[in-house]
Amino acid sequence: MPESPRPRVAALALAVGLVLADSSIVVLALPEIYRELDTSVSGVTWVLVSFNLVIALAAVPAALLARRVGPGRTAAVGLAVFAGAGLACGLADELSTLILARCLQALGGAAAVTASLELLPATVGSERRAATVWATAGATGAALGPALGGFLTELVSWQSVFLLQVPVALVAAVPIFAVARDEMATRVIEGELRQTGRPHLWANLALAMVSAAIAAALFLLVLLLIEGWRLSPIEAALVVSVMPLAAIAGSRLTDLVADPRSRAAAGAILVSGGLAGLAFLPKATIALTVPPQILVGVGLALVLSALTETALGGRAPQAIHGGWTISSRHAGVVIGLLVLTPIFTADIEQQRHDAINAGTAVILDSPVNPLLKIDLAEKVSERLDEEKGKVPTIGPAFEPKPSDPSQAAEVEQLQSELQDQLDRGATHAFSTSFILAALLGLIALFPIALSRRVDL
Amino acid sequence: MREGRLSGAVLIAGAVVVSLVLVGAYLAAGGSSYEPEKVQDPCQPREWSDPQNLGQIANQFTISALDGAACQLGVTRETLALALTTPERREQFEKRYGIDDEKLAKAIRAGLLRAVDDAEEAGALTPLIAGPLRQVLQRIPLDQAIEIINDAQGFLGNVEGFLGPAQGLLEQFLPGGLEGLGLP
Repeated sequence: MPESPRPRVAALALAVGLVLADSSIVVLALPEIYRELDTSVSGVTWVLVSFNLVIALAAVPAALLARRVGPGRTAAVGLAVFAGAGLACGLADELSTLILARCLQALGGAAAVTASLELLPATVGSERRAATVWATAGATGAALGPALGGFLTELVSWQSVFLLQVPVALVAAVPIFAVARDEMATRVIEGELRQTGRPHLWANLALAMVSAAIAAALFLLVLLLIEGWRLSPIEAALVVSVMPLAAIAGSRLTDLVADPRSRAAAGAILVSGGLAGLAFLPKATIALTVPPQILVGVGLALVLSALTETALGGRAPQAIHGGWTISSRHAGVVIGLLVLTPIFTADIEQQRHDAINAGTAVILDSPVNPLLKIDLAEKVSERLDEEKGKVPTIGPAFEPKPSDPSQAAEVEQLQSELQDQLDRGATHAFSTSFILAALLGLIALFPIALSRRVDL
Repeated sequence: MREGRLSGAVLIAGAVVVSLVLVGAYLAAGGSSYEPEKVQDPCQPREWSDPQNLGQIANQFTISALDGAACQLGVTRETLALALTTPERREQFEKRYGIDDEKLAKAIRAGLLRAVDDAEEAGALTPLIAGPLRQVLQRIPLDQAIEIINDAQGFLGNVEGFLGPAQGLLEQFLPGGLEGLGLP
């Protein structure tokens, strides 16, 4: 009786989902890492950048390695490295150690993901079905990542985000080790010979640009929610889950339109529209982030699937071309983060300064008793010193409230006005970055227009 | 190639319309101006509202003094106000803007003089008390000048004590003393 392919397909899908979820699962842990390792916003960005950069650089060589030494062995070793490096990430107590471990994790991840694409056609029976399983696993991982990361960070710790990946990677590796063992025994490396087509330049370029915009959307929104609006990681996780949920709903639209270029163009426009919406939030209210997130989510479902389909269409070997798409997407994430981080870091500082000035003006111009005013200004300045470089929580500066009811009411009004100025500053600090990310999405329309699918 | 039920142009047009509607709605709701309010230039005159009691006069006196000092130093009134809350913040402020105690004292004295001018103009101080007050304020040390800004109410409530020798002079001209000179 032949062995059922289901455990192997599940293991390969789990491996792909796990690795491709890694960027989004870590995003919600970043503010906690930022505080605990006492680093800067730019520093903590490298926890994300390093992983994406190494995957971008290693994806194609890893695919070539899989072709050369066998996809089973490559995937198995890749997952083992991914698990070991995940353990090192969870035990890291310095930013440099964490970043180094992330680079190793990315190396293992690149090997596991690209080799999985090489193994899938033989396991599921066709290249097209393999590409679908591969893309769905990646999308599901990315969809579950933010919520999972937020819950783990708040309920356990940021370290648990990495430590949990260790057993999951090992579970996925078990059936793949069997493939590796067979390869060793038979010395047969499947899936070679047929090689068709160069990498699809325009589709991969568009993938890079759109990925830059999408990564920025997720990263910036999480920072805005946690650092700007002071939401907990779980609350932020629930808020940003709108995006992947919308992506799942939006994936149904892919069947409605046959032409991948139109789907890609519509997706890029929706991503840009959503990002522009986030750039012009009229108030610091969670509900207002929902419509832009829906646009980004539906847009990413349309554009990523269409561009991946175009990039892989008619090309072989799938692992190499899949490697190129992975490389483009992660390179895009790196470019997005590297371009936008210095911009929004500078904007946060400027807006913090403006918000503090505006808040102090509110205190100075208020009708509150002058001595109480001075006392408040002192306490607010203490809060600023305690939370250097961040948007401060000013609540404690207003405690205890004056015993006189009329003064207490004035102080409450003052607190609300001051908080409003800080919310305005925190929200506005991200506007320029969201606009630039939206522009990246629109620029992607050019390569999309040139990205005719060519069946080779 | 698979068949689709919708044309690509319709999908693209739909995406454009939805995006424009969202962005248009957010802009119409004030999305482009949702940012911290701009603070007023301290060199511009700030109108005194009708002062009803000592607390209100002190409030406006402090603001005028901060405006005057901030204008001299080329910073905002708010930055200066926060800098004067603690000695540590004052030190950081001086370091950041390359200012020494002497320059700060000069600026605060100028600010206090502007406050006296504004108070006089608003009718909160009579010329008879404003004149000697100016002379005393021109020479006060930095710590005392900062104290006046931090507790203008205490200062104005005890202006007779503060004027010291000048008080005797005023008493000669005003048999009723300093009461009724304009300070509520």
